[in-house]
Amino acid sequence: MIAVLDEAHAPDAKPRPAVDLRDVSKVYANGRQALAEVDLTIPAGDFVFLVGPSGAGKTTLIRLLLRDELPTTGLIRVGSYEVSAMRSRDVPRLRRHIGTVFQDFKLLPRKTVRENVAFALEVTGSPRRLVSTAVDRVLELVGLTAQAEQRPAQLSGGEQQRTAIARAMVHQPRVFIADEPTGNLDPLISWEIIRLLLHINDLGTTVLMATHNAEVVTALRKRVVALDEGRVVRDAVGGYHGSH
Amino acid sequence: MIGFLAFAARRAAEGLWRNRVMSLAATITMVLMLVLLASLMIILSGMQAGLALIESRVEMRAELFDGVAQERVEELTRQLTALPEVAQVSYVSKDEALRRFREQLAAGGREDLTEVVGANPLPAQLVVRLRDPKSFGSVRQTLASPAGVVSRIIDQQSSVDRLVSITSWLRVVGLIVIALVGLTVLLIVVNSIRMAVMSRSDEIEIMRLVGASDAFVRWPLIFEGVIIGALGALVTLGLLSLAAGPISQLAGIIAVDLPVASGGRLATDLILVISGVGVMLGGLGAWISVRAYLGSPQAR
Repeated sequence: MIAVLDEAHAPDAKPRPAVDLRDVSKVYANGRQALAEVDLTIPAGDFVFLVGPSGAGKTTLIRLLLRDELPTTGLIRVGSYEVSAMRSRDVPRLRRHIGTVFQDFKLLPRKTVRENVAFALEVTGSPRRLVSTAVDRVLELVGLTAQAEQRPAQLSGGEQQRTAIARAMVHQPRVFIADEPTGNLDPLISWEIIRLLLHINDLGTTVLMATHNAEVVTALRKRVVALDEGRVVRDAVGGYHGSH
Repeated sequence: MIGFLAFAARRAAEGLWRNRVMSLAATITMVLMLVLLASLMIILSGMQAGLALIESRVEMRAELFDGVAQERVEELTRQLTALPEVAQVSYVSKDEALRRFREQLAAGGREDLTEVVGANPLPAQLVVRLRDPKSFGSVRQTLASPAGVVSRIIDQQSSVDRLVSITSWLRVVGLIVIALVGLTVLLIVVNSIRMAVMSRSDEIEIMRLVGASDAFVRWPLIFEGVIIGALGALVTLGLLSLAAGPISQLAGIIAVDLPVASGGRLATDLILVISGVGVMLGGLGAWISVRAYLGSPQAR
């Protein structure tokens, strides 16, 4: 039924996937194979967990998406960006298209919450008059309006991660990548962060979250892509360890 | 564009303040180098002016035998005046020569011993001024040709030659010293900016992560180098303006009009050269450092 509707309404306009990897391999200079023949398509608006043991290739995959590294072979697309073939000077635009947070928040300790978020706009040349409104908007999104003038050291771990999320969202990215965002947080706070990511997903942003948090993955029943030794070993809805 | 420049300048100032000990060290060595450069310029310019002064006064003096007949002297004067190289020939009598010698002694504050000598010991002279100090042409032969008229020919060519060689020697040595100090300054700026890069490595990581273009990462650091150079130039010019009075006085003593005071040509040259060299050296050092420690713009 849906297929018919799609065909009837827009015969050729298959929506562009948010993330598309074709036969991607990455071999480091020391000979270690970090990724092998990875095919992965994430449709726009999806929420996908990326799981697997340490060293399975999750971080390498994320670095390839951000074009921190180039694949040895294969094609990578993020939205309309041909990541594996783009010119270096277009990389900043790709990175504004992708919001990213990490386990270690990467906040600047001397700056307040507001300044940390505004920094992302200032260093990308946003006109000053637009900065304040944009910052207010994302601080409200992550629920940190009241803490805007505090510094990271005065915040709880969860608040620090929410600051990082606000900073990642300030460019209104189409894709949001979270690398172990709850790795440093206790379970209750972790759930707060997950709920925030689900909310961001609801607003239309595609979310890719790498995690070890089996409880969260199992509870949410979202699509789970499992990597092991650089290969996709499972790609199904729900379950952390899968059925193997 | 203005927003970008303001951003880069603000970040550069922040960086300099955060790294202030190193920035200060870099600025001080920059001042040292620029003061050396300015001194060399002033000294060379003074010597050049002195040289020009001496050259403009180059004349040949021919001392005459006592008791030479007046018509023989007049004949020689006519021959000399006819030469194309000669601008003017003037006769200085024995009495006139003595009078001038006494004046010179008085101006120098020395005791006049000529009174002790009974007779006037000074010879009469012919003073030949040349059109071009470097071309003597046949003046020397003409002076020497009539027998028993000219006893001795005195010219200043040897002292001019000596001054020229001192000036060119000083220029070479000065430039070598300045090049060495300049290299030191460059290394210190490179190091200072390297510290800046390291002290803000987490900021730079975040900037790249959120999609800052290379210009936003690099230019604030290059500005830091430029500011170090500009500050160094400013301090140097301040010191020079304080020293301008004494320098001019010193130059006045050796009878050279040195236009070092404000408004003079040398002052304008100094301002341009000192600020230009400072800013360029600072910017170059920062650029080298940024390339070395952040990779080439295409690296990431």
